[in-house]
Amino acid sequence: MLAFKTPGYNGYSIKYSPFYDNKLAVATAANYGLVGNGKLWVLSIQDNGQITPDAVFETQDGLFDVAWSELHENQVLTSSGDGTVSLFDTTLSRYPIAKFQEHNREVFSVFWNLVDKSLFCSSSWDGTVKVWNPNRQQSIMTLRSAKDLSVKAEAVQTDRKPPLSSNKPTIENPASDCVYQALFSPHDASTILSVNSASHCQVWDIRQPSPLTLDFISHNGLEALACDYNKYRPSVIATASVDKSIKVWDLRMIPNINHQFLPHGNKIGPSPLNKLVGHDFAVRKVTWSPHASDALLSCSYDMTCKVWKDYTDDRAKFLNTVRLRHGQALVNSFDRHREFVMGCDWSLWGNGFAASTGWDEMVYVWKAT
Amino acid sequence: MQRLQQISNQLIGNVSGSDRAREKNPDDVVIVAAYRTAIARAGKGKFKDVNSDEILMKLVAEVFKKTKVDKNLIGDVVIGNVLNPGAGVNEHRAAIIAAGLPAAIPFMAVNRQCSSGLMAVNDIANKILTGQIDCGLAGGVESMSKNYGPHAVPKISDIVLKASEDAKNCLLPMGITSENVNAKFALSRKDQDEFAASSYQKAEKATKQGLFKDEILPITVDIEIENDDDDDDKPPNVRHVVVDTDEGPRPNITAQSLAKLRPAFKKDGTSHAGNSSQVSDGAAVVILMRRELAESKGLPVIGKYVATTAVGVPPSIMGVGPAYAIPKVLQMTGIDKGEVQVFEINEAFAGQALYSTRKVGIPIEKVNPRGGAIALGHPLGCTGARQICTLLRELRPGQIGVTSMCIGGGQGAAAVFVRE
Repeated sequence: MLAFKTPGYNGYSIKYSPFYDNKLAVATAANYGLVGNGKLWVLSIQDNGQITPDAVFETQDGLFDVAWSELHENQVLTSSGDGTVSLFDTTLSRYPIAKFQEHNREVFSVFWNLVDKSLFCSSSWDGTVKVWNPNRQQSIMTLRSAKDLSVKAEAVQTDRKPPLSSNKPTIENPASDCVYQALFSPHDASTILSVNSASHCQVWDIRQPSPLTLDFISHNGLEALACDYNKYRPSVIATASVDKSIKVWDLRMIPNINHQFLPHGNKIGPSPLNKLVGHDFAVRKVTWSPHASDALLSCSYDMTCKVWKDYTDDRAKFLNTVRLRHGQALVNSFDRHREFVMGCDWSLWGNGFAASTGWDEMVYVWKAT
Repeated sequence: MQRLQQISNQLIGNVSGSDRAREKNPDDVVIVAAYRTAIARAGKGKFKDVNSDEILMKLVAEVFKKTKVDKNLIGDVVIGNVLNPGAGVNEHRAAIIAAGLPAAIPFMAVNRQCSSGLMAVNDIANKILTGQIDCGLAGGVESMSKNYGPHAVPKISDIVLKASEDAKNCLLPMGITSENVNAKFALSRKDQDEFAASSYQKAEKATKQGLFKDEILPITVDIEIENDDDDDDKPPNVRHVVVDTDEGPRPNITAQSLAKLRPAFKKDGTSHAGNSSQVSDGAAVVILMRRELAESKGLPVIGKYVATTAVGVPPSIMGVGPAYAIPKVLQMTGIDKGEVQVFEINEAFAGQALYSTRKVGIPIEKVNPRGGAIALGHPLGCTGARQICTLLRELRPGQIGVTSMCIGGGQGAAAVFVRE
């Protein structure tokens, strides 16, 4: 395990470079991201195991997410609390080489398209997902839920039996307009997956005139904080939520938004393929392994990172609970962090290595599997 | 600040208080048994010739016969009582041992007036929550036949009484505090009589339908029968009687029939025998344990203990206690009053119960659906535990209930339970 301290700045996100096996970008914010500056760290893991900063950039507001450019090995995108997305060149100093300013509130995620490398997307507390080209100042398109999110999961009457697929009545969530994460599918250049604070998980096709193609309530009305596409199974995603669970979904099992045939009073959410329970607090981030189709990494407010094995697989659609092997899903738990763990990422190069960062101002690189 | 709020929402998970109350965790305090005796009329009823210790002993013995809880699991016993000297600490300790519990199990007597039974439950629950014990027996017992009378009037030194108005008001008889509430909050005689009559009608209906059958464990006691001949030397005739039905409810009580009664405490007052609680004898006990223990022993969980609180109010209007205790316990637990299905509010007097209901803003049909102390009786130390027995049978699984009562000396208490 290797460690690096980001003094004065609390970690929010960490990403491995897709070009160098030893480079990491870390987005941090002063004062736990509540108020104050941010700092982008570009770190190198040396041969002797030391982690050293190659470059640091200070920003006006806290940084909440970071993404490496897929086009240029020295460029990094950051998303900030002041509503901007900035592109930094790590060989230059101090200022970003481009700034994209359209969001009205905190930008919580950025993601570079892995297939069509001329695009990236960002998601914000203003309720929108924006798609950008790095060469243009203005966004290419803005995705906003056409659906009124105030009509959320239906409140289940307490003296009636709750719907079959949930063990708890659905809860109204007033803060419905924050998109916590949006990312492109690694299999398809035009598909975006997003999750928001109204517990909705949404799939968008940016080629369509009305891009929203799937929209479902993923965590019984509780905020969904993170999502990720499986790198090997194109229809499989994972979502993470304030309900402390991670759910694995097969998007083929979700009814298309235009073909919801169930009567209104009968609209219960779809069922996940698998549910991973083990975190003691909200799960802040979840990501599928680049090396295995069944490995997941998650981090949480419970100060741990956890590594999971998803026992669902494509060959067995009618799984019973025995085959899900619930007791064996948790593979590893990393408990070195002394505060909320906010960001984690798999190494693209070393099979089974992971990096994490959190509010304890620490970056750890460790062996996950 | 919004960012801070956002993160705090993520941590708390926006789970409403009622959902948290319904959550089932291994370290919850749950109720595996809640039973009571029938409540008898003091001085005239079937318990008139037995003391509180005998009632308690027989009830506890029956409870362990009925529930098959291993007596050795009990880590502590707390029994509430108001009128016995020292809250019955000696005779009730003996009664628990006589009921078959090993002498190795400790015992405590508590007295917080009319809430004593609830405070006993609260004490056991807290000991389970903090890990001192895993399981405990709590309850309350009162023989107002034997222990209620002129000697029960409090004695307070002059120097204490002179210290302040509130201190002096602790000496006020409960009837006078009731009239104070009636006058201060302009509660009309008509409203009070209607409330009292509905208590009688609900209790009568519930008794007829056998709704109390599940919570009452019949016990057998001896009762003395008056000799017809005037020979006082002859020992009185003694008869065994089974006590299995509440004696308080009377048939055909209406607001009109109550309107004829004369005020009991004040010439121009509005409280009278028909709209005040009855003087009664009875006992109730509750067995609480940690959920994981109940599950490992395969015991059926009938309810979950959520929270208890007590508040102080001006002693001169002690009856308003529930009006302050209920909002406090709901705020503590984050439960909205609309999410509570049943409120068991002790009817010490119709006026104070009605005022508390109105002040909190509870729909009247949610209050005491099977009648209250006006119809069923109010054996002081028992009442807090008796309400839990009744409440848990009124709720359906998943529903939330609140018990509350006013307390002499100017207090109120309230507790939240979930039926499972």
